[in-house]
Amino acid sequence: MIAQGLDIVTTAAILYAVATGLLLVFGVMKIINFAHGGLMTLGGYAALVTTQMGLNPWLAIPAAALFGGVAGMAIERFAVRPLYGRPLDAILATWGLSIILGQLITIGFGRGVQFTRSPLEGTLDLLGESYSAWRLALVPIAVVLGLGLTALLQGTRLGLETRAVIMNEDLARGLGINSGLVRFLTFTLGSALAAVAGALITPLSSVDPNMGVPWLVNAFMLVLVSGASLFSLALSCLVLGGAQVLVSTYLSPVLGGLTIAVLAAVLLRIRPQGFARD
Amino acid sequence: MTESRRLSMLFIGFLLAAAVIGAGPYLLDTYSVNVLTRSLLYAAVALTVDLLWGYLGILTFGQSVFFAAGAYAAGLVFTHMDFTPGNAALALGLGVGGALLTAAIVGWLAFWHGASALYASVITLVLPIVATQLLYTGGEFTGSSSGLSGFTSFDISMEGWFWLAGGFLVCVTTLAVLFVQSDAGRLLVAVRENEQRCKYLGLDTSRLKITVYLACAVIGAVAGYLYAGYAMVVAPELAGFVFGTELVIWTALGGRGTLLGPVIGTLIVDYESAQLSGDYPFVWQLIIGVVFVLVIVAFPRGLLPVVADVPRRLFRSFLKRPARPVASVRLSTLDPALTQGEAPGDGPALAVEGVARRFGSLTVLDGIDFAARAGELVSLVGPNGAGKTTLMRCIADGAERSSGRIVVNGHDIGRRPPEACVALGVGRKFQMANVFETLTVAQCLQIARVRHARPSLWRRAGELHLPESAMHVIATTGLDRQLGTPAHLLSHGMKQALELAMVLALEPRVLLLDEPTAGLTKTERMQIGAILIDLARRQGLCVLLVEHDLDFVREISSRVIVLHQGRIVLDGSVEEVVNSELVKQVYAGSGHAGIQHQAAGREEVTP
Repeated sequence: MIAQGLDIVTTAAILYAVATGLLLVFGVMKIINFAHGGLMTLGGYAALVTTQMGLNPWLAIPAAALFGGVAGMAIERFAVRPLYGRPLDAILATWGLSIILGQLITIGFGRGVQFTRSPLEGTLDLLGESYSAWRLALVPIAVVLGLGLTALLQGTRLGLETRAVIMNEDLARGLGINSGLVRFLTFTLGSALAAVAGALITPLSSVDPNMGVPWLVNAFMLVLVSGASLFSLALSCLVLGGAQVLVSTYLSPVLGGLTIAVLAAVLLRIRPQGFARD
Repeated sequence: MTESRRLSMLFIGFLLAAAVIGAGPYLLDTYSVNVLTRSLLYAAVALTVDLLWGYLGILTFGQSVFFAAGAYAAGLVFTHMDFTPGNAALALGLGVGGALLTAAIVGWLAFWHGASALYASVITLVLPIVATQLLYTGGEFTGSSSGLSGFTSFDISMEGWFWLAGGFLVCVTTLAVLFVQSDAGRLLVAVRENEQRCKYLGLDTSRLKITVYLACAVIGAVAGYLYAGYAMVVAPELAGFVFGTELVIWTALGGRGTLLGPVIGTLIVDYESAQLSGDYPFVWQLIIGVVFVLVIVAFPRGLLPVVADVPRRLFRSFLKRPARPVASVRLSTLDPALTQGEAPGDGPALAVEGVARRFGSLTVLDGIDFAARAGELVSLVGPNGAGKTTLMRCIADGAERSSGRIVVNGHDIGRRPPEACVALGVGRKFQMANVFETLTVAQCLQIARVRHARPSLWRRAGELHLPESAMHVIATTGLDRQLGTPAHLLSHGMKQALELAMVLALEPRVLLLDEPTAGLTKTERMQIGAILIDLARRQGLCVLLVEHDLDFVREISSRVIVLHQGRIVLDGSVEEVVNSELVKQVYAGSGHAGIQHQAAGREEVTP
């Protein structure tokens, strides 16, 4: 029972970490960044390089942010910016970039599955359960991530401008906000977050050139049911992630893998605004 | 191009393609014949992606699932039962049936009234993921991750399979071209361009999308069935997201919305993949990825139009032929006896009872009660934000109002969607001219008539019958001289006139007009005014008009309703309203209050 509770909370934390970058990009730019999966893979390989160089595994996180951020800048400049106004085409272009990233990684690192060192090894005793320390550590990390982004959006000038662009881009431009810059920075930040998420999940499994793709659809569905709110994202991660854990435990792991996508699709059919408040 | 010329060109194309397929095995080596058989079947699925995405505007990632449905039906039946002609037919039936059932579920989820394009794409994205996982869970039955192989199949030579696959592709491609060029096929483009206008022209766009989706599912399933018969192996990857996106990539590279482009694109890319992926697997994928991104960013129409443009331009510079669109449609007036049957009855044409519209705590309309008879020309006036347009919306779409009842021609509209309200006799003209920008004037009018005259699935009609009122608008505004002009080239006034003619072509009994004269010149305004008076007096329409220009209202209305802050404050003749102190107060007073309100709002914003 306790193990299951911990499973639900940690799964929600992982999903939250994976989906925030996508949510940010979707909220501001109204496009779905299909390169998100590729950027996560990039972050995973950043963690692998950190391990191979014998550095402190915690350094994987800033390294991933750096790689992801730089890749995001290039993607925004050359693929996303020209497609402003063609949102469905932007989906396809970012998917193409995801393919390119995956192939470059394959050429560089080979197709094989590889492992990284975890910043926190071993297990932790909690409420009489011995549980993976790194999984538990992801919960405060996700909380910090959420609070940090909220502070950025609510407490800074850039955050105010970003929120203005989310609500009404035309008006924001009319008021002298450089929405192009806001988009550029958002995409860079979103890409960096994707790569960080990749680095965060690698200690739980392994690294391979397609590791990001399975996460993409779940993250995508979570963002769609959450609208553009970080709070509703947390809620939907808990509810849908919880459902996933329960279905995996009591029915079958394969059906568990489908739970988020199917529930979200049906939820959106019944309540198009999803978990967003209106 | 005349209709018979178009059909004969298509027939010649069909014969040429069939000849190429027939000669193929004699000109190609065995290896190529083998690979191309697969490519030909993939191309048939890519064709369905183009129909859905290029024509209907639905970006679909899940066509692979229908291919897999056909393939797995064959694989399962031939593995678990004996191979007999009867079982082969059973397998085909199961494959097509399974694909239809899946498509119906997806259609119900993705194409309901009000679903966004993004949502529909998302559903098609979830579909292959669900399908693959289900195949994995099948255990022995579906062969799980390794799929099914080693089953007996049709005893057909390799050349035979090539001809079968090629023949299938040529047939479906020809039929698809025939269809998209026909009157019915044009509806696909109309839905992609402006789905809202389609609904308000009485077209059930959800049903249209689902029908096309079902047809595409069948094509995919048959292609998959042939694939399983020839390859004698099926694997879960056939249903997968990767194959589904590859189909989209091939379609984008070849040229969406061209039908031939995706077919050629698939043949080339899949054939080359087979050749090169053995030697340079990753580099080849990398090249495809780079080319794909370049095409999406720089040549969104794909490569076929770019390639086809080169000879066309050369040709044109030689011939110097003016590329002037010629209307191939003749207009004629319908016999008034044939236009929407029953004469205006005794009861009110439109009755609005206790209608309210609330957005959360904000009440935009409250307790609206009035009735209007046939032949009345009622103007709705009131300051901005009074709820005039909202009231129009509530009459034309049953899902809009929060409470109350609306009766059109004696029928309660209930919660009916716009297309069903059109069937009851409501015609709505929007505030901003709302037409199909890329279609010609004649084509826009044809689409407005679809509700009455069922369009042909393969022909283009040469004649268009319009009711007298629509013809009157077309003749007085000079639109009849511009039948071949694309709508986006029309002036603002002409577009407004075109939209009015389209709405009148619906033969409405209740006509809703939202500021029909906004942005028009004095002359155009007089023209419209005369037309409206004629519609109400002579044709017996009940016209409801939102208008700001009080002089115009005074000239044409038989009655005026004044709305203020969501309520009716006055309902009476033109004289009563013009001389009313209350109305002067509403306009002057609310203006004053509005200024105060704005000032207060500004203080709130700057802390």
